[in-house]
Amino acid sequence: MRHEDRGFHPDVKRLLDGELRGGLDDLAPALREEAQEALRLLAEVDPTAPVVSDALEARVMAAVRAKRGRRRELVVRLRPWMLAPALAAAAVLVLLVGRVLQAPTAQAPAVASLTVRFVLVAPDAQRVSVAGTFNQWDPSATPLVRTAEAGVWAATLTLPAGEHQYAFVVDGDQWVADPAAPAIPDGFGGGRRNSVLTL
Amino acid sequence: MNYRLAMLAMLALVPAALAGQSIDERLGARVPRETAALVRELAARAAARGLPADPIVQKAIEGSVKAVTADRVAGALREVLAQLELSAAALRGAGMDPPDTIIVAAGAFAINAGLDASQVRELAGAGPATGAAVTLRVAGTLAALGVPAAEVVQLVATALGAGQAPADLLALPAQVQAAVARGETPAQAAVGLARAAAALGRRGPPPTRPTPPPRPQRP
Repeated sequence: MRHEDRGFHPDVKRLLDGELRGGLDDLAPALREEAQEALRLLAEVDPTAPVVSDALEARVMAAVRAKRGRRRELVVRLRPWMLAPALAAAAVLVLLVGRVLQAPTAQAPAVASLTVRFVLVAPDAQRVSVAGTFNQWDPSATPLVRTAEAGVWAATLTLPAGEHQYAFVVDGDQWVADPAAPAIPDGFGGGRRNSVLTL
Repeated sequence: MNYRLAMLAMLALVPAALAGQSIDERLGARVPRETAALVRELAARAAARGLPADPIVQKAIEGSVKAVTADRVAGALREVLAQLELSAAALRGAGMDPPDTIIVAAGAFAINAGLDASQVRELAGAGPATGAAVTLRVAGTLAALGVPAAEVVQLVATALGAGQAPADLLALPAQVQAAVARGETPAQAAVGLARAAAALGRRGPPPTRPTPPPRPQRP
Protein backbone atom coordinates (compact mmCIF):
# COMPACT_ATOMS: atom_id res chain seq x y z
CA MET A 1 0.00 0.00 0.00
CA ARG A 2 1.24 3.48 -0.76
CA HIS A 3 1.35 4.71 2.85
CA GLU A 4 3.40 1.74 4.02
CA ASP A 5 5.96 2.42 1.31
CA ARG A 6 6.18 5.99 2.34
CA GLY A 7 6.39 5.52 6.09
CA PHE A 8 8.67 2.64 7.06
CA HIS A 9 12.33 3.10 7.87
CA PRO A 10 14.65 1.73 5.16
CA ASP A 11 16.08 -0.87 7.55
CA VAL A 12 12.54 -2.09 8.34
CA LYS A 13 11.90 -2.41 4.60
CA ARG A 14 15.08 -4.51 4.32
CA LEU A 15 13.72 -6.76 7.05
CA LEU A 16 10.40 -7.11 5.18
CA ASP A 17 12.35 -7.96 2.03
CA GLY A 18 14.19 -10.77 3.88
CA GLU A 19 17.59 -9.08 3.62
CA LEU A 20 18.31 -9.23 7.35
CA ARG A 21 19.28 -12.80 8.23
CA GLY A 22 19.18 -12.14 11.96
CA GLY A 23 15.61 -10.87 11.80
CA LEU A 24 14.62 -8.33 14.43
CA ASP A 25 17.98 -8.74 16.20
CA ASP A 26 19.75 -7.10 13.27
CA LEU A 27 17.74 -3.92 13.78
CA ALA A 28 18.48 -1.00 16.09
CA PRO A 29 16.35 -1.28 19.27
CA ALA A 30 14.50 1.92 18.36
CA LEU A 31 13.25 0.28 15.15
CA ARG A 32 12.05 -3.03 16.58
CA GLU A 33 8.61 -1.86 17.60
CA GLU A 34 8.05 -0.38 14.14
CA ALA A 35 9.30 -3.61 12.56
CA GLN A 36 6.88 -5.70 14.62
CA GLU A 37 4.03 -3.47 13.50
CA ALA A 38 5.17 -3.85 9.88
CA LEU A 39 5.35 -7.62 10.20
CA ARG A 40 1.91 -7.69 11.76
CA LEU A 41 0.46 -5.65 8.89
CA LEU A 42 2.21 -7.92 6.41
CA ALA A 43 0.63 -10.94 8.05
CA GLU A 44 -2.81 -9.35 7.65
CA VAL A 45 -2.40 -9.06 3.89
CA ASP A 46 -4.70 -11.45 2.05
CA PRO A 47 -2.40 -13.88 0.20
CA THR A 48 -5.07 -15.09 -2.23
CA ALA A 49 -4.83 -13.96 -5.82
CA PRO A 50 -7.22 -11.12 -6.71
CA VAL A 51 -10.24 -11.99 -8.84
CA VAL A 52 -10.51 -9.84 -11.96
CA SER A 53 -13.86 -9.60 -13.70
CA ASP A 54 -14.18 -10.25 -17.43
CA ALA A 55 -15.38 -6.68 -17.94
CA LEU A 56 -12.26 -5.25 -16.29
CA GLU A 57 -10.00 -7.54 -18.29
CA ALA A 58 -11.70 -6.42 -21.49
CA ARG A 59 -11.21 -2.77 -20.53
CA VAL A 60 -7.54 -3.25 -19.75
CA MET A 61 -6.87 -5.16 -22.97
CA ALA A 62 -8.69 -2.53 -25.01
CA ALA A 63 -6.55 0.19 -23.39
CA VAL A 64 -3.34 -1.77 -24.03
CA ARG A 65 -4.19 -2.30 -27.70
CA ALA A 66 -5.09 1.36 -28.14
CA LYS A 67 -1.77 2.41 -26.59
CA ARG A 68 0.24 -0.04 -28.70
CA GLY A 69 -1.38 1.33 -31.85
CA ARG A 70 -0.31 4.87 -30.99
CA ARG A 71 3.29 4.02 -30.20
CA ARG A 72 5.82 6.27 -31.91
CA GLU A 73 9.54 6.72 -31.50
CA LEU A 74 10.89 10.25 -31.41
CA VAL A 75 14.63 10.82 -31.83
CA VAL A 76 16.04 14.33 -31.53
CA ARG A 77 19.70 14.99 -32.33
CA LEU A 78 20.90 18.04 -30.40
CA ARG A 79 23.63 19.98 -32.23
CA PRO A 80 25.75 22.71 -30.56
CA TRP A 81 24.01 25.57 -32.36
CA MET A 82 20.66 24.25 -31.10
CA LEU A 83 21.67 24.42 -27.43
CA ALA A 84 20.61 28.00 -26.68
CA PRO A 85 17.15 27.73 -28.34
CA ALA A 86 16.65 24.34 -26.67
CA LEU A 87 17.47 25.75 -23.23
CA ALA A 88 15.13 28.69 -23.84
CA ALA A 89 12.34 26.32 -24.89
CA ALA A 90 12.97 24.16 -21.82
CA ALA A 91 12.77 27.23 -19.56
CA VAL A 92 9.42 28.22 -21.09
CA LEU A 93 8.15 24.66 -20.69
CA VAL A 94 9.19 24.54 -17.03
CA LEU A 95 7.45 27.87 -16.44
CA LEU A 96 4.24 26.67 -18.08
CA VAL A 97 4.23 23.35 -16.23
CA GLY A 98 4.90 25.18 -12.99
CA ARG A 99 1.84 27.36 -13.57
CA VAL A 100 -0.34 24.35 -14.32
CA LEU A 101 0.87 22.48 -11.24
CA GLN A 102 0.67 25.52 -8.96
CA ALA A 103 -0.90 24.62 -5.61
CA PRO A 104 -4.46 25.89 -5.22
CA THR A 105 -5.19 28.64 -2.72
CA ALA A 106 -7.55 28.16 0.19
CA GLN A 107 -10.36 29.85 -1.72
CA ALA A 108 -9.86 28.41 -5.20
CA PRO A 109 -10.48 24.70 -5.62
CA ALA A 110 -8.01 22.56 -7.55
CA VAL A 111 -8.66 22.75 -11.28
CA ALA A 112 -6.70 19.67 -12.29
CA SER A 113 -8.13 17.56 -15.08
CA LEU A 114 -7.86 13.83 -15.50
CA THR A 115 -8.26 11.58 -18.49
CA VAL A 116 -10.97 8.98 -18.01
CA ARG A 117 -11.83 6.02 -20.24
CA PHE A 118 -15.47 4.96 -20.29
CA VAL A 119 -16.03 1.36 -21.34
CA LEU A 120 -19.24 -0.64 -21.73
CA VAL A 121 -19.65 -4.22 -22.85
CA ALA A 122 -22.78 -4.22 -25.01
CA PRO A 123 -22.51 -6.86 -27.77
CA ASP A 124 -26.01 -6.28 -29.15
CA ALA A 125 -25.89 -2.48 -29.23
CA GLN A 126 -25.90 -0.48 -32.45
CA ARG A 127 -25.00 2.84 -30.78
CA VAL A 128 -23.62 3.71 -27.36
CA SER A 129 -22.87 7.12 -25.84
CA VAL A 130 -22.21 8.53 -22.40
CA ALA A 131 -24.22 11.42 -20.98
CA GLY A 132 -23.71 13.14 -17.67
CA THR A 133 -23.12 16.29 -15.71
CA PHE A 134 -19.92 16.90 -17.71
CA ASN A 135 -21.73 17.25 -21.07
CA GLN A 136 -25.10 18.65 -19.94
CA TRP A 137 -26.62 15.15 -20.21
CA ASP A 138 -26.45 15.37 -23.99
CA PRO A 139 -26.68 11.80 -25.40
CA SER A 140 -25.23 12.91 -28.73
CA ALA A 141 -22.22 14.74 -27.31
CA THR A 142 -19.97 11.80 -26.44
CA PRO A 143 -20.42 8.67 -28.53
CA LEU A 144 -18.47 5.54 -27.64
CA VAL A 145 -16.74 3.67 -30.45
CA ARG A 146 -16.42 -0.06 -30.99
CA THR A 147 -13.05 -1.40 -29.91
CA ALA A 148 -11.17 -4.33 -31.39
CA GLU A 149 -12.63 -6.45 -28.61
CA ALA A 150 -16.00 -7.84 -29.67
CA GLY A 151 -18.91 -6.06 -28.02
CA VAL A 152 -16.73 -3.54 -26.18
CA TRP A 153 -17.45 0.17 -26.61
CA ALA A 154 -15.15 2.90 -25.31
CA ALA A 155 -14.55 6.65 -25.19
CA THR A 156 -11.83 8.70 -23.54
CA LEU A 157 -12.59 12.09 -21.97
CA THR A 158 -10.65 14.67 -20.02
CA LEU A 159 -12.70 15.77 -17.02
CA PRO A 160 -12.10 18.32 -14.29
CA ALA A 161 -11.52 17.12 -10.74
CA GLY A 162 -14.75 16.78 -8.81
CA GLU A 163 -17.84 14.60 -8.65
CA HIS A 164 -19.53 13.63 -11.90
CA GLN A 165 -22.72 11.65 -12.51
CA TYR A 166 -23.36 9.85 -15.76
CA ALA A 167 -25.05 6.95 -17.52
CA PHE A 168 -24.59 5.14 -20.80
CA VAL A 169 -27.23 5.58 -23.49
CA VAL A 170 -27.66 2.44 -25.57
CA ASP A 171 -29.37 2.72 -28.97
CA GLY A 172 -30.59 6.21 -28.17
CA ASP A 173 -33.15 5.46 -25.49
CA GLN A 174 -31.89 2.89 -22.97
CA TRP A 175 -30.20 4.51 -19.95
CA VAL A 176 -27.73 2.07 -18.42
CA ALA A 177 -25.62 2.62 -15.29
CA ASP A 178 -21.94 1.71 -15.52
CA PRO A 179 -21.67 -1.78 -13.98
CA ALA A 180 -18.09 -1.05 -12.90
CA ALA A 181 -18.84 2.18 -11.00
CA PRO A 182 -20.68 3.20 -7.81
CA ALA A 183 -24.23 4.41 -8.40
CA ILE A 184 -26.98 6.38 -6.72
CA PRO A 185 -30.70 6.74 -7.52
CA ASP A 186 -31.28 9.42 -10.14
CA GLY A 187 -34.07 10.95 -8.06
CA PHE A 188 -36.89 10.54 -10.60
CA GLY A 189 -38.23 7.27 -9.23
CA GLY A 190 -38.55 4.13 -11.28
CA GLY A 191 -35.35 2.55 -9.96
CA ARG A 192 -33.00 4.19 -12.45
CA ARG A 193 -29.52 4.96 -11.21
CA ASN A 194 -26.71 7.34 -12.11
CA SER A 195 -23.12 6.19 -11.99
CA VAL A 196 -20.72 8.28 -9.92
CA LEU A 197 -17.19 9.26 -10.79
CA THR A 198 -15.13 11.14 -8.19
CA LEU A 199 -11.79 12.57 -9.33
CA MET B 1 -29.22 61.72 -5.26
CA ASN B 2 -32.08 60.01 -7.08
CA TYR B 3 -29.82 59.57 -10.09
CA ARG B 4 -27.19 57.84 -7.91
CA LEU B 5 -29.80 55.59 -6.33
CA ALA B 6 -31.09 54.64 -9.75
CA MET B 7 -27.57 53.82 -10.95
CA LEU B 8 -26.92 51.70 -7.86
CA ALA B 9 -30.20 49.85 -8.35
CA MET B 10 -29.31 49.17 -11.99
CA LEU B 11 -25.87 47.92 -11.04
CA ALA B 12 -27.41 45.66 -8.41
CA LEU B 13 -29.78 44.20 -10.97
CA VAL B 14 -27.04 43.37 -13.51
CA PRO B 15 -25.72 40.21 -11.80
CA ALA B 16 -29.26 38.93 -11.27
CA ALA B 17 -30.08 39.51 -14.92
CA LEU B 18 -26.89 37.77 -16.02
CA ALA B 19 -27.59 34.84 -13.70
CA GLY B 20 -31.12 34.50 -15.04
CA GLN B 21 -29.89 34.66 -18.62
CA SER B 22 -27.30 32.01 -17.88
CA ILE B 23 -29.92 29.59 -16.55
CA ASP B 24 -32.23 30.25 -19.49
CA GLU B 25 -29.38 29.70 -21.92
CA ARG B 26 -28.47 26.43 -20.27
CA LEU B 27 -32.03 25.18 -20.19
CA GLY B 28 -32.59 26.24 -23.80
CA ALA B 29 -35.35 24.41 -25.60
CA ARG B 30 -34.60 21.12 -23.91
CA VAL B 31 -36.72 21.81 -20.85
CA PRO B 32 -40.53 22.34 -21.00
CA ARG B 33 -41.73 25.84 -20.14
CA GLU B 34 -43.34 24.86 -16.83
CA THR B 35 -40.20 23.06 -15.69
CA ALA B 36 -38.07 26.03 -16.72
CA ALA B 37 -40.24 28.33 -14.62
CA LEU B 38 -39.84 26.05 -11.61
CA VAL B 39 -36.06 25.92 -12.14
CA ARG B 40 -35.89 29.72 -12.17
CA GLU B 41 -37.97 29.92 -9.00
CA LEU B 42 -35.93 27.30 -7.12
CA ALA B 43 -32.62 28.69 -8.39
CA ALA B 44 -33.56 32.16 -7.17
CA ARG B 45 -34.52 30.70 -3.80
CA ALA B 46 -31.20 28.86 -3.65
CA ALA B 47 -29.20 31.95 -4.59
CA ALA B 48 -31.00 34.00 -1.93
CA ARG B 49 -29.81 31.48 0.68
CA GLY B 50 -26.27 31.30 -0.62
CA LEU B 51 -26.77 27.85 -2.14
CA PRO B 52 -25.51 26.71 -5.55
CA ALA B 53 -28.11 26.68 -8.32
CA ASP B 54 -26.15 24.44 -10.68
CA PRO B 55 -27.36 21.10 -9.22
CA ILE B 56 -30.97 22.24 -9.77
CA VAL B 57 -30.30 23.22 -13.39
CA GLN B 58 -28.43 19.97 -14.03
CA LYS B 59 -31.26 17.87 -12.59
CA ALA B 60 -33.84 19.66 -14.74
CA ILE B 61 -31.83 19.03 -17.90
CA GLU B 62 -31.24 15.40 -16.90
CA GLY B 63 -34.93 14.82 -16.30
CA SER B 64 -35.94 16.31 -19.62
CA VAL B 65 -33.31 14.39 -21.58
CA LYS B 66 -34.44 11.17 -19.90
CA ALA B 67 -38.04 12.00 -20.87
CA VAL B 68 -39.22 11.96 -17.26
CA THR B 69 -42.70 13.34 -16.65
CA ALA B 70 -42.90 16.96 -15.49
CA ASP B 71 -44.32 16.12 -12.07
CA ARG B 72 -41.46 13.70 -11.34
CA VAL B 73 -38.91 16.26 -12.48
CA ALA B 74 -40.54 18.84 -10.19
CA GLY B 75 -40.31 16.43 -7.25
CA ALA B 76 -36.66 15.73 -7.98
CA LEU B 77 -35.84 19.44 -8.22
CA ARG B 78 -37.46 20.15 -4.85
CA GLU B 79 -35.54 17.22 -3.39
CA VAL B 80 -32.26 18.64 -4.71
CA LEU B 81 -33.00 22.02 -3.10
CA ALA B 82 -33.89 20.31 0.19
CA GLN B 83 -30.60 18.41 0.17
CA LEU B 84 -28.66 21.60 -0.52
CA GLU B 85 -30.42 23.31 2.41
CA LEU B 86 -29.71 20.33 4.68
CA SER B 87 -26.08 20.31 3.63
CA ALA B 88 -25.64 24.04 4.22
CA ALA B 89 -27.18 23.77 7.68
CA ALA B 90 -24.88 20.86 8.54
CA LEU B 91 -21.82 22.79 7.35
CA ARG B 92 -22.81 25.83 9.40
CA GLY B 93 -22.99 23.43 12.34
CA ALA B 94 -19.39 22.47 11.57
CA GLY B 95 -18.32 26.10 11.84
CA MET B 96 -18.46 27.08 8.16
CA ASP B 97 -20.55 30.23 8.02
CA PRO B 98 -21.28 30.95 5.26
CA PRO B 99 -20.29 27.63 3.69
CA ASP B 100 -18.64 27.56 0.29
CA THR B 101 -21.12 26.60 -2.45
CA ILE B 102 -18.77 23.88 -3.72
CA ILE B 103 -18.73 22.27 -0.29
CA VAL B 104 -22.52 22.64 -0.01
CA ALA B 105 -22.92 20.75 -3.31
CA ALA B 106 -20.53 18.05 -2.11
CA GLY B 107 -22.49 17.70 1.13
CA ALA B 108 -25.76 17.44 -0.79
CA PHE B 109 -24.24 14.68 -2.92
CA ALA B 110 -23.21 12.80 0.24
CA ILE B 111 -26.74 13.19 1.63
CA ASN B 112 -28.22 11.97 -1.64
CA ALA B 113 -25.91 8.95 -1.46
CA GLY B 114 -27.12 8.00 2.02
CA LEU B 115 -25.43 10.05 4.73
CA ASP B 116 -27.49 12.15 7.13
CA ALA B 117 -26.91 15.77 8.11
CA SER B 118 -25.13 14.93 11.37
CA GLN B 119 -22.68 12.70 9.49
CA VAL B 120 -21.99 15.47 6.97
CA ARG B 121 -21.35 17.84 9.87
CA GLU B 122 -18.98 15.36 11.52
CA LEU B 123 -16.98 14.72 8.35
CA ALA B 124 -16.80 18.40 7.41
CA GLY B 125 -15.21 19.09 10.78
CA ALA B 126 -12.91 16.08 10.71
CA GLY B 127 -10.27 17.50 8.36
CA PRO B 128 -9.02 20.80 7.01
CA ALA B 129 -11.79 23.09 5.74
CA THR B 130 -10.04 23.46 2.37
CA GLY B 131 -10.43 19.72 1.79
CA ALA B 132 -14.03 19.40 2.99
CA ALA B 133 -15.45 19.14 -0.54
CA VAL B 134 -13.16 16.24 -1.43
CA THR B 135 -13.88 14.57 1.92
CA LEU B 136 -17.64 14.74 1.37
CA ARG B 137 -17.42 13.60 -2.26
CA VAL B 138 -15.38 10.56 -1.23
CA ALA B 139 -17.85 9.83 1.57
CA GLY B 140 -20.74 9.98 -0.89
CA THR B 141 -18.91 7.74 -3.34
CA LEU B 142 -18.24 5.16 -0.64
CA ALA B 143 -21.93 5.19 0.27
CA ALA B 144 -22.76 4.78 -3.42
CA LEU B 145 -20.59 1.67 -3.39
CA GLY B 146 -22.83 0.19 -0.71
CA VAL B 147 -20.76 0.99 2.37
CA PRO B 148 -23.22 1.71 5.23
CA ALA B 149 -23.18 5.36 6.32
CA ALA B 150 -21.80 4.61 9.80
CA GLU B 151 -18.85 2.71 8.33
CA VAL B 152 -18.30 5.49 5.79
CA VAL B 153 -17.94 8.01 8.59
CA GLN B 154 -15.70 5.70 10.60
CA LEU B 155 -13.37 5.06 7.65
CA VAL B 156 -13.10 8.65 6.44
CA ALA B 157 -12.75 10.15 9.93
CA THR B 158 -10.14 7.54 10.90
CA ALA B 159 -8.10 8.17 7.75
CA LEU B 160 -8.16 11.93 8.33
CA GLY B 161 -7.35 11.44 12.01
CA ALA B 162 -4.39 9.29 11.03
CA GLY B 163 -2.92 12.18 9.12
CA GLN B 164 -4.03 11.41 5.58
CA ALA B 165 -4.70 14.46 3.42
CA PRO B 166 -8.22 14.77 1.93
CA ALA B 167 -6.76 14.20 -1.55
CA ASP B 168 -5.40 10.83 -0.35
CA LEU B 169 -8.98 9.76 0.41
CA LEU B 170 -9.68 9.62 -3.33
CA ALA B 171 -8.01 6.19 -3.36
CA LEU B 172 -10.49 4.72 -0.86
CA PRO B 173 -13.35 3.88 -3.27
CA ALA B 174 -11.00 1.85 -5.49
CA GLN B 175 -9.64 0.06 -2.43
CA VAL B 176 -13.17 -0.83 -1.34
CA GLN B 177 -13.97 -2.08 -4.85
CA ALA B 178 -10.83 -4.24 -4.83
CA ALA B 179 -11.80 -5.76 -1.48
CA VAL B 180 -15.34 -6.43 -2.72
CA ALA B 181 -13.88 -8.16 -5.79
CA ARG B 182 -12.00 -10.44 -3.36
CA GLY B 183 -15.28 -11.40 -1.74
CA GLU B 184 -15.68 -8.97 1.16
CA THR B 185 -18.87 -7.00 1.72
CA PRO B 186 -18.55 -3.21 1.35
CA ALA B 187 -18.96 -2.85 5.13
CA GLN B 188 -16.20 -5.40 5.84
CA ALA B 189 -13.93 -3.66 3.35
CA ALA B 190 -14.49 -0.28 5.01
CA VAL B 191 -13.87 -1.66 8.49
CA GLY B 192 -10.66 -3.33 7.34
CA LEU B 193 -9.41 -0.15 5.68
CA ALA B 194 -10.28 1.90 8.77
CA ARG B 195 -8.32 -0.55 10.94
CA ALA B 196 -5.30 -0.31 8.66
CA ALA B 197 -5.49 3.50 8.62
CA ALA B 198 -5.67 3.58 12.41
CA ALA B 199 -2.64 1.27 12.69
CA LEU B 200 -0.61 3.48 10.37
CA GLY B 201 -1.70 6.56 12.29
CA ARG B 202 -0.60 5.08 15.65
CA ARG B 203 2.83 4.26 14.27
CA GLY B 204 3.64 7.93 13.66
CA PRO B 205 6.70 9.17 11.78
CA PRO B 206 9.63 6.76 11.41
CA PRO B 207 12.52 7.22 13.84
CA THR B 208 15.63 8.89 12.50
CA ARG B 209 18.98 7.16 12.36
CA PRO B 210 21.27 7.98 15.31
CA THR B 211 23.82 10.64 14.48
CA PRO B 212 27.32 9.09 14.24
CA PRO B 213 29.87 10.48 16.70
CA PRO B 214 32.24 13.09 15.23
CA ARG B 215 35.50 11.76 13.87
CA PRO B 216 38.51 12.54 16.06
CA GLN B 217 40.60 15.29 14.56
CA ARG B 218 44.28 14.77 13.93
CA PRO B 219 46.47 16.74 16.24
